[in-house]
Amino acid sequence: MLVAVMAAATALPQLYWMIFGKPVRTPFIMYSCVDDLFMIQRTGETMVREDTRGNQYTREEYEEKLPMLYMRQLMLSGTMMDTIRGIAIDAREVNNARSTFRYKPSDRYTPDPGLYPLFEAESGRANLEMPEDYFRITWRMEFTDAKTNKVDEEKSRLFSAALYHKGFQFPAVKIAGIPTTRKSCDEGYLVVDAAHQLFHVKMVRGKPYVRNVELPEGLRFEHIACVDFRDRLYYAYLIDKGGETWILTQDDYMLVKLPVGSFNPASEDMRIYGDFFNYNVIFNGDGFVRAVALDKDFNKIDEYGETWKIRMELPEGKAFTWLFPGTLKLESPNSNFLKFRVEVNPVARWIWLSLALAALHFLLLSRGKGYTLRKNLTGHLADLAIIVVSGIFGFLAVNIFPNRFFD
Amino acid sequence: MLIRSMIFKEWVKVRWFLLLYTLLAVLAVAYIFIRVRHDITFHEANNYWYFILFQGHSWFRLLRYIPLAGGLVLAVAQYFPETVNKRIKLTFHLPVEENRSLLMMMQFGTLCLLACFLLLFLLLCGLSRVWFPTEIIFSAVVSVTPWFLAGFAAYYLAALIILEPVWLRRILYLLVAAAFVPLYLTGSVPGGYGPAILALFLLTCLLSVALLFSGYRFRKGEM
Repeated sequence: MLVAVMAAATALPQLYWMIFGKPVRTPFIMYSCVDDLFMIQRTGETMVREDTRGNQYTREEYEEKLPMLYMRQLMLSGTMMDTIRGIAIDAREVNNARSTFRYKPSDRYTPDPGLYPLFEAESGRANLEMPEDYFRITWRMEFTDAKTNKVDEEKSRLFSAALYHKGFQFPAVKIAGIPTTRKSCDEGYLVVDAAHQLFHVKMVRGKPYVRNVELPEGLRFEHIACVDFRDRLYYAYLIDKGGETWILTQDDYMLVKLPVGSFNPASEDMRIYGDFFNYNVIFNGDGFVRAVALDKDFNKIDEYGETWKIRMELPEGKAFTWLFPGTLKLESPNSNFLKFRVEVNPVARWIWLSLALAALHFLLLSRGKGYTLRKNLTGHLADLAIIVVSGIFGFLAVNIFPNRFFD
Repeated sequence: MLIRSMIFKEWVKVRWFLLLYTLLAVLAVAYIFIRVRHDITFHEANNYWYFILFQGHSWFRLLRYIPLAGGLVLAVAQYFPETVNKRIKLTFHLPVEENRSLLMMMQFGTLCLLACFLLLFLLLCGLSRVWFPTEIIFSAVVSVTPWFLAGFAAYYLAALIILEPVWLRRILYLLVAAAFVPLYLTGSVPGGYGPAILALFLLTCLLSVALLFSGYRFRKGEM
């Protein structure tokens, strides 16, 4: 019975949204360094490009307002301006200053690999090479050779000792890096230890490099995303437990909090686009988008946000709340972990349908042979209760698996 | 004595199917590791580990539907002969309580599946220790556990459907099974199933008693 309720609660809403679901089109918001305001591009049946004052633009005009983003196009059409804000534009400098970063909740909520490759940071070679071994940081820092599947004792001792001497408390609770050879250079890993201290660990000419980063009192990180940008201003974006975003500057290890406000890393996206003049920090969650423009010294210049109706407030969502008590699902767009997620509908309209179905079930029962009211009530109380609680799912389940043990 | 001969009857029904299935499944596991060995030789172990750790390569994915197939094969072998001429009614005329004889059949099937799956599981873990570190093995274990549970779930649901006397109900049960079993087989990143395993295990245990429904209805003489 429970199985049938679960099967119905998984399959029916899925089918419903497959049929009636509509895509949510998030407007694309970018700060214009020409007009010093936000430009908005809306996709949909017709493409609308406008600014926050309500002026509408053609595609060409829109691109000219965002020369840092559309530089290639503007150069091709010959409409790229020579100076912006009195600064002569050099294509190489613009390219150098460009950076894109995206955080999505499933970056954080995903199984840890547990093993990471430690690259040689100063190999003297132009390209990075995949090391032969992988490390884990449990009760010590341990390197396992992939070919033999055996621990390299000497290297493990060397690195464990280096960590230990810098005050590292084993084991590591978070290891963040860019484990790929397709990056411009290697900066190792940022590691959070068991005492919530932050360390920078890398391998320089075969020797460990360990640096303890001084943190403000009580700062705990939810997520660390290392970056590899051409301008080499910082190692990583760090999101703390309160949802604030920090950067860790290159070489001098300063933690700088971005004045962009907090967000919920469990359910919201964050994008950071850097260009020659500004940083655009864009938060996107269920029913809203919020953009903050920063200057190159990370001071806040402007902010703009929009909200729209979430799915459950739209006609198809309202119909959904009438029909179904909620949804049961394993997957979530915000996590790579599977577990049973029960989402009860925000409005309890479904209770009417549940009661109606329970009444219908009761009527069907009383039409059967040899049933008396008392027998009906006592024998099928469980069924009726299931229908009231789980609505249409329970109604189907009860009728597929009749509770005949009570006969 | 009666119970022993009943068990013997179950064994006679399933033995060839079970042995053949086990043989094929063991061959599948062997193939997985032949493949692993081949890929490691051709791509170097460090690169192969990299595919697994950071690119979501699941080296054991061949195993996905194998336990499911096992559950179905066993259920068909064990229960289909009972529906021919409604032979199961004979079982119910034996001087053993009816639910007990049904439960006994089911326990027998469960134990057969368990033995077979345990063999596959241990083979998988044992052999993977040759090439892989604990982290990789652990995430593989988390990924394959729901697949093995799916085998049990399929066995119970198939038994329920096969023993069900009324065709309409059979189809309804089939629909429920078709909506339910995919919960065990949802694609996920290696290790992603971790938080769901306990719930799936409990559900599978619950399913194991579902068979009693059909048996109950069968002996009530519903057609």
